[in-house]
Amino acid sequence: MAAPGPARLLRAAAASSRRWLFSASPAAGTRPGCGSAAAAVRAARLFSLSARAVLSSEDKITVHFINRDGDKLTAKGKPGDSLLDVVVDNNLDIDGFGACEGTLACSTCHLIFEDHIFEKLDAITDEEMDMLDLAYGLTETSRLGCQICLKKSMDDMTVRVPEAVADARQSVDMSKNS
Amino acid sequence: MSFFTRVLTMKCKQALESERTYFYHAIFVSRFHQLPKLSSSQSLEVQNNSPAAAENKGEEMVADSGRAGELLKPTPHQLGRVKSLQEMPGPNTLYNLYEFFWKDGFGRIHEIQQKHTQEYGKIFKSHFGPQFVVSIADREMVAQVLRAEGRAPQRANMESWQEYRDLRGRAMGLISAEGEQWLKMRSVLRQKILKPKDVAVYSKGVNEVITDLIKRIHTLRSQEDDGETVTNVNNLFFKYSMEGVATILYECRLGCLENNVPQQTVEYIEALELMFSMFKTTMYAGAIPKWLRPLIPKPWREFCRSWDGLFKFSQIHVDNKLKAIQSQLDQGEVVNGGLLTYLLVSKELTLEEIYANMTEMLLAGVDTTSFTLSWATYLLAKHPEVQQRVYEEIVNKLGKDQVPVAHDVPKLPLIRAVLKETLRLYPVLPGNGRVTQKDLIIGGYLIPKGTQLALCHYTTSYSEENFSMANEFRPERWLRKDNLDRVDNFGSIPFGYGIRSCIGKRIAELEIHLALIQLLQNFEIKISSKTEPVNAKTHGLLTPGNSINVRFSDRK
Ligand code: HEM
Ligand code: FES
Repeated sequence: MAAPGPARLLRAAAASSRRWLFSASPAAGTRPGCGSAAAAVRAARLFSLSARAVLSSEDKITVHFINRDGDKLTAKGKPGDSLLDVVVDNNLDIDGFGACEGTLACSTCHLIFEDHIFEKLDAITDEEMDMLDLAYGLTETSRLGCQICLKKSMDDMTVRVPEAVADARQSVDMSKNS
Repeated sequence: MSFFTRVLTMKCKQALESERTYFYHAIFVSRFHQLPKLSSSQSLEVQNNSPAAAENKGEEMVADSGRAGELLKPTPHQLGRVKSLQEMPGPNTLYNLYEFFWKDGFGRIHEIQQKHTQEYGKIFKSHFGPQFVVSIADREMVAQVLRAEGRAPQRANMESWQEYRDLRGRAMGLISAEGEQWLKMRSVLRQKILKPKDVAVYSKGVNEVITDLIKRIHTLRSQEDDGETVTNVNNLFFKYSMEGVATILYECRLGCLENNVPQQTVEYIEALELMFSMFKTTMYAGAIPKWLRPLIPKPWREFCRSWDGLFKFSQIHVDNKLKAIQSQLDQGEVVNGGLLTYLLVSKELTLEEIYANMTEMLLAGVDTTSFTLSWATYLLAKHPEVQQRVYEEIVNKLGKDQVPVAHDVPKLPLIRAVLKETLRLYPVLPGNGRVTQKDLIIGGYLIPKGTQLALCHYTTSYSEENFSMANEFRPERWLRKDNLDRVDNFGSIPFGYGIRSCIGKRIAELEIHLALIQLLQNFEIKISSKTEPVNAKTHGLLTPGNSINVRFSDRK
């Protein structure tokens, strides 16, 4: 059903995509006629791989996660990485964690912080607060892990994964135990 | 009559009767012509216990359900006795038919949702012909369902949509796709339009549309005797929302708000309106079993014709963009772009998937936003004292004439609260659907996997338990004393929650916040002699039942 024209164009465009440049700032704005672009494209996909610098291990920050079952998982991340990045990059086995990939739609990345760390976290945004309102097992030191970026001062911190949602999964566990 | 019985098989009882019906209809209308069966989601295993069968078998089903892999084995002494669907209360099937067909229940679905909750409790079952639905009108249970979701939740069966796409060689978009295919597209799109900071960059484009909106208001009100009233504000906001969404999705302007709307856009608006108006009949498209189509061909034909029109429009815009990119490339220019440019270049989605998603997002993004703006305007006109407080906040925290951008919104908690409270009182989607993907115990009942659930957001939004003085417009209820203050709000989740929630949420928020701020900076919104009381009606979405007419007086 695709008109042959555009399909061909697309192939052509993609073939030459390497030499494309994307500006990271919003373009001049929109005019009738679709002539100009609306906003920035972050060509993350195209460039992120090469952009990943290799860091020496001293630059890394260690984070301990206390999982739901009480197990301690320890992992490292770079300054600026989010706690979601740390979980994903290290393949930490935390059930259902980060389902929406950090797009502030799910609150499955809910983590509980130590008081002294919590106090120094970057200010929370309205959008994070709204999603946090919907998180299960909220505490006074809860935040969404996908919104928290690692800093040197966080080295060796411990964060806790809140207890599981009391749904069917819990019942399954119960039946396993019995 | 069996035809009608089949038609009645709707999710959360969305409306049949509608002049303007939306994709949401289709979301709720499913599996008309067959017993509930399993979704095509790959994560599901084949099961023989359809919910309908389970309902009939009652206890037997409970005993049976422990077999398949992930299924749970409830241990009654630990959980209390788990009840079967058979024991669940609910309205009588015949009475349901009567209520909907003879008493125009469709327009009052949101009220019937409340009534049934009063009569049968917070979890009840209904039969619409062969379609079996479990309705849930309790915020904890709704939370439980949404928190238990897997990788690719399913809203409802989308067979008729799939059939059209197959027929035309078209792809499914986010609304209609399922399983891994949905997940793939969602992963790409959410990284572009769901994160607040990615959407904030569209402030400038949206503000340009708002400038046109305000100009348009000046023109419209000058045509009235009092020089201030604008009748049927939804008409105006429809154009605003369409222009806004096109700016973001197609990276272009359509000219909807100009005095002389470009011909192509006029045609499109007409096509869109036709699409909406025809949905009344096209609802039947999915409802009529295939074998009956030779006898009643019209609904299916119109269903296809509507979709043809929508696809045509988005294809024109996508193709234009593609050509523009190509010519920029040919001239060795740097390619700058937004969402569409990114999608076309990155090739993460196929061209057909881009067409489908652009089509579905436009369909999903226009009326939702415009109804919400219409209701907000209505509520502000009706509550001058609230409006005054919001205006003062704008003047004090932002300035009388300062054009706002996304980063200013956090300074204006009342604007955010007005949007939340508007959506609580008028949730555009008064209910939503989910097909369970594993066995769940909800409200003490065993709900087998594959059951169609209706989440009754309208009812929970109006429940006193969740919101004190629930019938009143009180945006302040959403304000936080400080950043540690949590506002428990599962009772009102107008954009849904979780990985299948509204992908346009941040876009809609941006369009609405910025528009409301500028409207209030420019005008005092007042009751006019033409203002009538307006009640909500369900036309697929919760819509204003008649036209909202208000005055836009200049701020001194
Ligand atoms: C006030 C405005 C809006 C409201 C209240 C609203 C509400 C909703 C709701 C309740 C859902 C179902 C979520 C679920 O099943 O959990 C939904 C889905 C969706 N909405 Fe919106 N919406 C709005 C604006 C928009 C806009 C502007 C767009 C387009 C950019 C959009 C695109 C979509 C899409 C594509 C889906 C399907 C998502 C999926 O299945 O992955 N919506 N919306
Ligand atoms: S991963 Fe979904 S909100 Fe953090």
